[in-house]
Amino acid sequence: MADKKSVLGLFQDPDRAADAMDGLKEAGFELGTFDVLTGTPYPEGAFGEYVPQHRLFRFPAFGAIIGFTLAVVFTAATQLAYPVISGGKPVLALFAMLVIVYELTMLSAVVATVVGIIFESRLPNLNPGAYDTRITEGWIGVVVSTTSDKAGSAEHVLKRAGALEVKMA
Amino acid sequence: MASHAGSKPQNVDPAHKAESHGAHHKPAAERPLPEQVMPDLVKTTAAGSKFKVAALVLAGLSVLGVIGVVGRLFGGTGAADQKEWGYVAATLGFMLTVFGGAPMVSVAPSMAKANWIRPVTRISALFSLAGVATALVLLALVVALPPLVTEGARRRSIWFDAPVYSPHFWSIVGLVGLVVTGIGLWYANSLPDFAAMRDHSNGWRQRWGKKLARGFVGTQGQWRSLRLRIGMLGTLYFLVLIFVHFLISTDFAMSMVAGWRDAIFPMYHSLGSLQAGIASTIIAMWAARKWGGLDKYLGHDQFWALGKLLFAFSLLWFYFFISGFIVFWYGRTDSDIMVLDLLIRGPYKYAFAAAFLLCFFLPWWTLIWNRVRASVTGPAVVAAIIIVGHLFDKIRIYGSAWSTDPARIHERFLTVIPQTHYPDVFDIFVIVGAPALGILLMLLASRMVPVVSIWDMKQFLMLSKPVKYMKGHALIVAKPD
Repeated sequence: MADKKSVLGLFQDPDRAADAMDGLKEAGFELGTFDVLTGTPYPEGAFGEYVPQHRLFRFPAFGAIIGFTLAVVFTAATQLAYPVISGGKPVLALFAMLVIVYELTMLSAVVATVVGIIFESRLPNLNPGAYDTRITEGWIGVVVSTTSDKAGSAEHVLKRAGALEVKMA
Repeated sequence: MASHAGSKPQNVDPAHKAESHGAHHKPAAERPLPEQVMPDLVKTTAAGSKFKVAALVLAGLSVLGVIGVVGRLFGGTGAADQKEWGYVAATLGFMLTVFGGAPMVSVAPSMAKANWIRPVTRISALFSLAGVATALVLLALVVALPPLVTEGARRRSIWFDAPVYSPHFWSIVGLVGLVVTGIGLWYANSLPDFAAMRDHSNGWRQRWGKKLARGFVGTQGQWRSLRLRIGMLGTLYFLVLIFVHFLISTDFAMSMVAGWRDAIFPMYHSLGSLQAGIASTIIAMWAARKWGGLDKYLGHDQFWALGKLLFAFSLLWFYFFISGFIVFWYGRTDSDIMVLDLLIRGPYKYAFAAAFLLCFFLPWWTLIWNRVRASVTGPAVVAAIIIVGHLFDKIRIYGSAWSTDPARIHERFLTVIPQTHYPDVFDIFVIVGAPALGILLMLLASRMVPVVSIWDMKQFLMLSKPVKYMKGHALIVAKPD
């Protein structure tokens, strides 16, 4: 099996970086194996890059379902264990339960969101691949994660698109 | 805040000189070139002589604050005499109000995709670090806060039959949660700039930048995740802020006074925090311009926009004040009259008059003029007035609440109005020293990452373009996200 390689093309012109992304797609590199590195956030899809699906929104939904279920069980079980009839209301009084249900649902959603933020932050990035400090100066990097036998092809595409420099790691 | 005070940019894009304040006729001040932003702002993290003097002065004042708290704890009657702690409680309320509200300044406009807020986000988030000092004051104050049950009787509070130290425990949990969330918000906002420090600074800044950047290289996935994190943490911060204001205002003020029941008061407290947060952010911006050489980055647009918000919140301060006041005024029960006697026309009437004048009347009468709002100095002066106003407001609220006789806390309503309690030397140390510690922490953090966010500033320039529009000038702003 060929070694993993990270090929980085450096651009000053965003349009050329976008051209490089198109070139990599046309050259048969799979979506998700190449990405754009920028020192400032560009509008999503500005480079025609692959936008990975994140799962952050699932965390609050999952947390809310757990919290809601727990709250219903807690409040119902408590009222059934200590059945106090007040004002002729049923033992399982829905309006009395609503406040606890709301609070616990929100609390679980918030806690799950915090966990989700940590989980989905993609940090620490232990294998950042090829990188250049000029990216934080405003240069744009197009990085390709590939095997050593395809690294030459990636370098060719990047240079053809107008990369001012190509680095490998 | 930065060392190169008064330094002027060398290169300015002539096309960018045409920026206007929104869509007005005259071109605005110069704006930096995108490639200038990073070196300019990284340079501001170097500690110059002004920074060192400011840090030393603040450190000295912080030591006085510590002496004040220690003196309060172990000198005189210690924690036993409640009224001795009124000014410490006022300092807690003041710091929560001033430092706690500031991070919210950038959250709401950022969510609304306002481009003008981008240069302000870091400065407002920086106030989260000052929350550490607020938490330290709280830790000292809970020692003096009476338990819910004393001499067999339970005082009226939001805690009903909860354990007697519930206010102590939950206020600490709440405030620590607020500080952690705020620092998380600041860190999330600073992450790309730590990467910039890793790449373009040297010495300890570079080492810390490398550690704290956590391998951030600017992939599109990382930027997307960053946006989500800032949005989520901002929302969470708002939720926790309101919760903490509710706890502190009820447990450390309202429940200390027999018969004081006011449903508006926690919201009045929170609203005041948003007003003071805007004010403190404006003052920090003014200082960054004055001593940090950041006049090119924090321009008239930012002051003007925040001046408008400050005006709106000054009017809201009055609205929430009168909404609470009017219930007591028309209620006219013995309990209502005693609350008014204590808080408005009693021993702290001068503090109330000062608070009313400085939090509402003067800001209203000055910010109503467009010439004042649309300047740099105008909003900064009014902001300073408002901050002083909030100090008086917290003194009249917490000072009077903690001056009441704890032996009468179980009565249906207040029957004896206490005398005015004037601050002693320890109180003055705490009032001056505790906020100084908060500002010192902010100042130290400004050595790690710039007080104006590099990446936000670059995005600000990328998404806005000054153009000539017919015979005037306008700024075209893209809102792509």
